Amino acid sequence: MLLKCPKCGVKNYLDPYPFWNFKGKTKCAGCDTFYAVEIATGSPMRAPRPINGTPKDPDLLLPGFADTPDNKPVMGEGKTRPAPRARADVYGKPKPIVRNSRGRLVAGRPLTPADLVGSRARYVVEGKEPK
Amino acid sequence: MANPEPLKGGRRGRPPWPASPPPTSDEVYGNLAEQAREYPKFLESLVHPDKAFNKPEALDRIRVLDCSTGMAIGHWASSMLAELGAEVIQVEPPGGDPLRQLTPFGRKEYMLKDAQRGEPVGLHFLHEMRNKLAITLNLEKKEGRDVLKKLATQVDVVIENASPGQWDKWRIGYRQLSKLNPRLVYCWVGQRGQWGPLKDKPGMRDPVAQCASGFVHGTGDPKEFGGRPTRSGMWVADHVGGTAAAMGIVAALIHRERTSGKGQFIEATAAEGIIRILDYDWVWHGMDGSIRPRYGNWDLAINIYAVNPCKDGYMMVGGGHDRLWYRIWKTVGDEVPQAEEEIIADTNLRNISERLPHTRQVKTYTLLCEWLKDNTRAEAERKLVRQEVASGGVMAIHEVAEYPHFKYRKQVAEFDDQLYGKVLVASSPNLAEKVPARLKWVGRPVGYDNDEVYRRLLGFTRGDFDRLGRQGVI
Amino acid sequence: MAAKRKSRSKSKVTLSRGGRGQAGGDFERYCRQTFSPASVFAKPEVLKGYRVLSCTQYILGPSCANYLGELGAEVIKIELPRRGEPMRHSTPGNEGFLYPLSRWVPQSGTGLGFFGANFNEYFISMDFHRPEARELMYKLAAKADVVVENYRPGTFDRWGIGYRQLREINPRLIYVWLGGFGGWGPGRVRASYDILGQAQGGAFSITGQPEELGGSPSKHTIWLADYWGGMMGALHALSALYWRDNVSGEGTFLEYSQVHGVSRQLEYALPLYGRFGVIRERWGNWDTELCVHGIIKCGKSSYPNSDNPQEQEEGYLLISAYEDADFARLCKTIGQEKWMRLYKSHDARVRPESQREIYAALEAWAKDKTKEQAAQILDRARIISQPVWNAKEVASHPHWRERGSIFWLDDPTYGDVLSQGPAYKMSDTPPRVKWALKPIGADNEFIYGKLCGLSAEELKRLEAEEII
Repeated sequence: MLLKCPKCGVKNYLDPYPFWNFKGKTKCAGCDTFYAVEIATGSPMRAPRPINGTPKDPDLLLPGFADTPDNKPVMGEGKTRPAPRARADVYGKPKPIVRNSRGRLVAGRPLTPADLVGSRARYVVEGKEPK
Repeated sequence: MANPEPLKGGRRGRPPWPASPPPTSDEVYGNLAEQAREYPKFLESLVHPDKAFNKPEALDRIRVLDCSTGMAIGHWASSMLAELGAEVIQVEPPGGDPLRQLTPFGRKEYMLKDAQRGEPVGLHFLHEMRNKLAITLNLEKKEGRDVLKKLATQVDVVIENASPGQWDKWRIGYRQLSKLNPRLVYCWVGQRGQWGPLKDKPGMRDPVAQCASGFVHGTGDPKEFGGRPTRSGMWVADHVGGTAAAMGIVAALIHRERTSGKGQFIEATAAEGIIRILDYDWVWHGMDGSIRPRYGNWDLAINIYAVNPCKDGYMMVGGGHDRLWYRIWKTVGDEVPQAEEEIIADTNLRNISERLPHTRQVKTYTLLCEWLKDNTRAEAERKLVRQEVASGGVMAIHEVAEYPHFKYRKQVAEFDDQLYGKVLVASSPNLAEKVPARLKWVGRPVGYDNDEVYRRLLGFTRGDFDRLGRQGVI
Repeated sequence: MAAKRKSRSKSKVTLSRGGRGQAGGDFERYCRQTFSPASVFAKPEVLKGYRVLSCTQYILGPSCANYLGELGAEVIKIELPRRGEPMRHSTPGNEGFLYPLSRWVPQSGTGLGFFGANFNEYFISMDFHRPEARELMYKLAAKADVVVENYRPGTFDRWGIGYRQLREINPRLIYVWLGGFGGWGPGRVRASYDILGQAQGGAFSITGQPEELGGSPSKHTIWLADYWGGMMGALHALSALYWRDNVSGEGTFLEYSQVHGVSRQLEYALPLYGRFGVIRERWGNWDTELCVHGIIKCGKSSYPNSDNPQEQEEGYLLISAYEDADFARLCKTIGQEKWMRLYKSHDARVRPESQREIYAALEAWAKDKTKEQAAQILDRARIISQPVWNAKEVASHPHWRERGSIFWLDDPTYGDVLSQGPAYKMSDTPPRVKWALKPIGADNEFIYGKLCGLSAEELKRLEAEEII
């Protein structure tokens, strides 16, 4: 369910699996307003209403993600639920990698035509780490 | 509240299969223009399984002795070969393979009895006993092993799954049998391997291999969604490993005929079958130490490509690349314009790979469910298929069994077996113009073919049968 | 009956445990030598001299051709010019890429989703539906043994490069079509991907935590219907080659529907429904036919100090003690002697309500243990267990490394990558991985020169016109 906060306009995404059938609180990632939410098979049973709450409440479930009206992400600890992560430092962008987990060369970063030998990365072919 | 039963229904109130007859050819193609009808009808005439018995079999010169017991991987491998035409002789210990006794939740009433002896057999075992001959042989006795040595000279393939080195110690391993029959293809199957540090670790049935290969850690809802590692409902690692074993066996036969004239030693394990096909897990780990997390019914590497809840169950929608992405949102936008507008306005979602991070998947699927929540599986599918978007509901077993497309293609078919009567089975997916797989019989009771096989291959006399029977050898 | 049961359980003991101490070191030495990953390249290949055209995308079709490539066939992968196939743009979390995508687009990479489905192949590009491309296809098909194709049914036929046209050029051709629902029947127009195959084939509904534990039907983590479906297609293609070369001399057409394939895996589900009208449901981490044979949660993480969330997670452990003797030892080990009376027979303990109670008690027992600690206790009592390993634990385990199932591959294009090895081992003609993948069109010059006789100038023109 999409919860658009009337106070700050932030769009809170109450993602389908945890929130499909849900009765409890959630919290706007933009202005930290707590909302009482009741959802059955994906549809709100009543409009979310502001309510008192604390971050420690057992019936509090944070949104999976939130963004501003112009689509800037609003995230962070205590704002949205963490993503399933493969490492501590996941950040969702192509990660330039030159050395793999055992320290050897691997062609894991963008190249320019000058970086190529035929179809291969020059630095891998030559065995020298690029500048 | 009582817990729901994991087996639902029962014959009461449920019509016998099929609840509705399969569609006729006219219903399927009748409304199509000649041009649109031509290719599917050509294909149908080319590969329809009803014509399988007019056609040759790919492996019908091959004889396979499957000595695997108590484990599904070997049975799976040999039933793949049996469907493609090989004569497979399933060797069981006297009394039968312990897997014959398996039945869901111990419910004996769900076992089938054959018409001749009334001997109960579990459906799980029976489903992989197709096209095979059943003989018994006690390999723990020396006399039994002597019989096996004779059989090994008469066959092309032997499959076994004894403890690592057991057959070698018994002097019926690859090293010994290949001397008796240099053309023999010998395949050992197991969960983790017959050599290497884990070779003696016990455990012979799935999900042992699922746990040891990284499969279970990656399946199920992520911890962040309240989920835990989850095994496959099926013994899936045995199926994958068994298929790999069958592939190796046919490859070895090709090499034998074409080049060497000799057989060879093959090893296939359930865990390594899964490891081979575990997507990008290893390369990703090698790049930067990533450990693949669970991602529930979503996909780490494609968006949209997921199963989400809908009005009457769970619905799959898939379309990662741009053309389908916009068609999906157009379909959604017809009913929930706000959802489509949100997606179109977000520049972060314009590029195919930039849609992949978790936060963007959350946004995608939350908005998609604004539409799905008011659509049943059938409604959603109808609307999306109009746009050529791959989509469909999660189907329960009775829906699979009754799905018209499957019934029309005989994917699910009732087989009238001489011994077990009418049995609903999943047919082999290997259709072909000339060498299709096929089903000849569903299965056999314990030792049903002893007489035929031992006489034909080893010239056993009445006296031999008496003696070996008394000694508990067969 | 009693005698029978005895002999059964005896044979089981031999099978599941007899290896301990029985297998002489000699046999293991023999196996290590026979299957040694180090000697793979000293041995011949089964499909040497066979040529496979892979006109495929995603995973189902590509993996089918790939398995033939592992056996030594010369596999030529044909992709659309420029963007290549969609899987190249698929990578977990938008993070890992291997560069370049092609020599024309070096700043983009190939996603890791592409890895593992295209080993050992030559990569050329071609826009199939252009008339000039058709002529090139005919030249390639004239010299091919197998064509693997997974476009929508009839597409290649319409473009003049389907089975009907190619069999005229090469009657020995094995044409493998793989796809979602198959090319005929009421659902033939439906597109499919792996996850839809799982959903509609039936595997989805019987996998996942039961509702009582808050779970939903679940997909298999792997692109199972694709990667395994490709295996089924390759098995059929190998069998058809065997038949062609030893029996008939004829080519043929093979059709594989991945939804159909998934249904084939449902074990007892369909016969149970057909005969008794009973619907098999999901049963989480337990087994519907065996008890104890399930995965339990161990309360403590094995790596509490790791900064990786996957390692911080609690451990999980498969416990397997379905035989009476094993179960009795388990009861003693965890202090539930009363079960030996309550659940003396397997039939008694495999019932749903018994399973619920047994697994709940096992989880309570393991609450203060890591999976290794729990496994150690069970090991001492000779009870079978197997920890649920994550990708790192599997990738670093010496067992899989020594067997070459996971290994560091020195890829000529992309450098040092950790790769999976073939799914099975052969003593004389082992399947193998030579390189992981190549950029789009990397072998245009080599293959088009070798098989189509294109001159340097023609190559340049076709490339400029985006035909190749």
